[in-house]
Amino acid sequence: MHMADALVAPAVAGTMYVLSTGAAGVSVKNVREENDPKKIPVMGVMGAFVFATQMLNFTIPGTGSSGHLCGGMMLSAMLGPYAGFLTMIGVLLVQCLLFADGGLLALGCNIWNMAFYGCFVGALLIWRPFMKKGASRAKIIAASIIGCVLTLQMGAFSVTIETLLSGITELPFSVFLATMQPIHLAIGFVEGLITSAVLIFVNEARPELLWGVGEKSSNEGKLSFKNTIIAIAVAAAICGGVVSLFASAFPDGLEWSMEQVAGTTELEADGGAYETASAIQDTTSLFPDYAFKDSESAVGTSFSGIVGALVVVGVTVGACYAFKFFKKKESIA
Amino acid sequence: MNSIEKNLLELNRIENLQQRSHWMNRLHPLGKLLLSVLYIFTVVSFDKYKVTPLILMSVYLIFGFIIGELSFREGIYRVRLVLPLVIFVGILNPFFDKRVLFYLGTFAVTGGMVSMLTLMLKGFYAVLSSYILIATTSIEDICYALRCVHVPKTVVLVIMLIYRYFDVMAKEADRIMTAYTLRAPSQKGIHYKAWGTLVGQWLLRSMDRAEMVYESMLLRGFNGDFKMRRKEVKKIDVLYPLFWIIVFIIIRHF
Amino acid sequence: MHTGVCGEILKIEHLSFGYEKGEKVLTDISFEAHDKESIGIIGSNGIGKSTLMKLLVGLYLNYEGRLEVAGHTMDKKNLNHIREHVGYVFQDSDSQLFLSTVEDDVAFGPQNYGLSAEDVEKRVTSALQRVHIEALRKKQTYKLSGGEKKLAAIATILAMEPDIIIMDEPSVALDPRNRKNLIGILNEIDALKLITSHDLDFVMDTCERTILIDDGKIIADGKTDEILRDKELLEYHGLELPLRFGGC
Repeated sequence: MHMADALVAPAVAGTMYVLSTGAAGVSVKNVREENDPKKIPVMGVMGAFVFATQMLNFTIPGTGSSGHLCGGMMLSAMLGPYAGFLTMIGVLLVQCLLFADGGLLALGCNIWNMAFYGCFVGALLIWRPFMKKGASRAKIIAASIIGCVLTLQMGAFSVTIETLLSGITELPFSVFLATMQPIHLAIGFVEGLITSAVLIFVNEARPELLWGVGEKSSNEGKLSFKNTIIAIAVAAAICGGVVSLFASAFPDGLEWSMEQVAGTTELEADGGAYETASAIQDTTSLFPDYAFKDSESAVGTSFSGIVGALVVVGVTVGACYAFKFFKKKESIA
Repeated sequence: MNSIEKNLLELNRIENLQQRSHWMNRLHPLGKLLLSVLYIFTVVSFDKYKVTPLILMSVYLIFGFIIGELSFREGIYRVRLVLPLVIFVGILNPFFDKRVLFYLGTFAVTGGMVSMLTLMLKGFYAVLSSYILIATTSIEDICYALRCVHVPKTVVLVIMLIYRYFDVMAKEADRIMTAYTLRAPSQKGIHYKAWGTLVGQWLLRSMDRAEMVYESMLLRGFNGDFKMRRKEVKKIDVLYPLFWIIVFIIIRHF
Repeated sequence: MHTGVCGEILKIEHLSFGYEKGEKVLTDISFEAHDKESIGIIGSNGIGKSTLMKLLVGLYLNYEGRLEVAGHTMDKKNLNHIREHVGYVFQDSDSQLFLSTVEDDVAFGPQNYGLSAEDVEKRVTSALQRVHIEALRKKQTYKLSGGEKKLAAIATILAMEPDIIIMDEPSVALDPRNRKNLIGILNEIDALKLITSHDLDFVMDTCERTILIDDGKIIADGKTDEILRDKELLEYHGLELPLRFGGC
């Protein structure tokens, strides 16, 4: 479910960064207010733990296949929404950097799709209401499964929306959605089962480690169901607002999503002489004349343009090797 | 070799690269981080039919890999994780978008083909440029860069701890899986009856470890604050990213 | 940080402690320790050795009796001050080394006590020299071997220049050469050392004084050479003679 950089347009990536940063800001503030320095090592070690558990294979009964754990829901049931969210940010960043799972630009999207729903929705809207009057086996199973399924569905839905808004796919909305949602339904269900098994064990062995069980109303307790719904609605509104803001600054991505929505394509496929000429001019002159800029149609590609670009690439390769060659010589001498 | 060991080996290879004394490794991490983000930003901002500038954008990668003495194979290997979704999203483009953009001889190149190609290129570029970043910059340095742009200390310290204990945890996961499979040779993964106890016990052990880490930090004067040592900024630290950003701007406005 | 205090820097009188109310993990512990002494704390598993050590660094404050470290009574007010004087080397080095490189980890303590960059640098260099691992300075902590991790963990404590160093099972999981090396290094450190261990041969090599604890009480306190030769005493309290004296 990790989004790749290639799938997001700058406007979408920027918007999601803004939203995720906002949620992170709220979380940092809350964690700070708790003023429990012990939380930090717990977050770090639990983050590494979740990261490592993602590598375990779990046999799914009755099938030949195996499932995995993402851990967002598990983390928030242990640490609460705010510390859980910050921990997931850390996990996603390290994953993205070390294993190229997800991307630097798509990080904002990934934090939102996986950490925000898993931690905020999972912990505040599902886990806590269920655990309000104490934990039990049945309640943990219900909360884990509903939590995982719901948050993964929301995540998958966001992936679809973000990709479509980025305008890089010709896939119709319905097809995309019809593929993404059912797959994640199954994944969510298995994840929910594994999560519940683990949390039931924790509840039996060390119940005090579970977050939000019983009437322990802490700072975090103040965010009610209603407030959370309002917060999500505000976030959605900001999302829309920021998208349009970014869109005016970086039109490329949204141009295409508009086209998706409106279904119009004003493209004319003429790879004519004018295109060729301007492409050659573009590739050969270092500072293209901006007077010609309005000729920038969607078709920015022509055969000769590509050839020109390939020549540049070839020259770069040569130059790099030459640079290395002389540098080596220099160091020998 | 199981997947955990593979991951650990991959991690090890990257860390060996980070430890080299190459000049690119010594550049200020903030410049490298911003450069990488800007590069990916520029790459994905190109219109889906624009192949030419996208090909030109590869000069940064070529420079990074050749001068940085990195292996293209390693870089491309890393694309595997994001590739499935990218392929899924792009594979149908040629079927839906059949407008002819231009002819290669008599072969009609359609919009869908081009947009699929640019999508794949963007996917590869983004991963390869991140590889250049991470192969020349350690996580501590990236954390330092994050501090420079005022990412809260809490978050940075948590990232450092996750990175530090990932190795410890992954090795533990490896031992757990090995011990499990040795006694359950015919099973593909962990049997559902053991899901709770196996992961649960490990989780409790991890919490105990967190407790010890906390005590150890406390005993060395930790009070929630965290300082990093300052890094000097040299001319090259500014000039190198600046050079590339100018190149990106030129290509972008072609 | 050295106080320059000579004489007793650790004073324990009638110390009792339990994690839960009514429960007693330690009962009526009293002893004094002097600067530059080296004391082995021995006893079988689960009799309260580690608890005692954690009390000495103020990880638990709800104790009964008197506990004075470096001239200060152990309480919340004095905690930071006391911790400048006491270093604790954990049994599990991985829990102690939480930053990614040896250098950063060793610098963590001095930095937290607000030393200047220059002084931190000096502390790091000297601590690494004292355990002979200057070469590992830039190395990633997780890439160290078990023995190297232990030395790095000790360096993180030495960098704080404590008067008292507490070590929990330092010889566990070390191969014979690393163990021997560690003995040499410990004997070079001139601070008050409290070493808990089941490895009685290790205690023989590093400590001149030994305290035997069982069931939360001090059973014997005296010269290592005498206590560790007392077969009857050791066996009665679940221990065996050191190998060199024919223990099995």
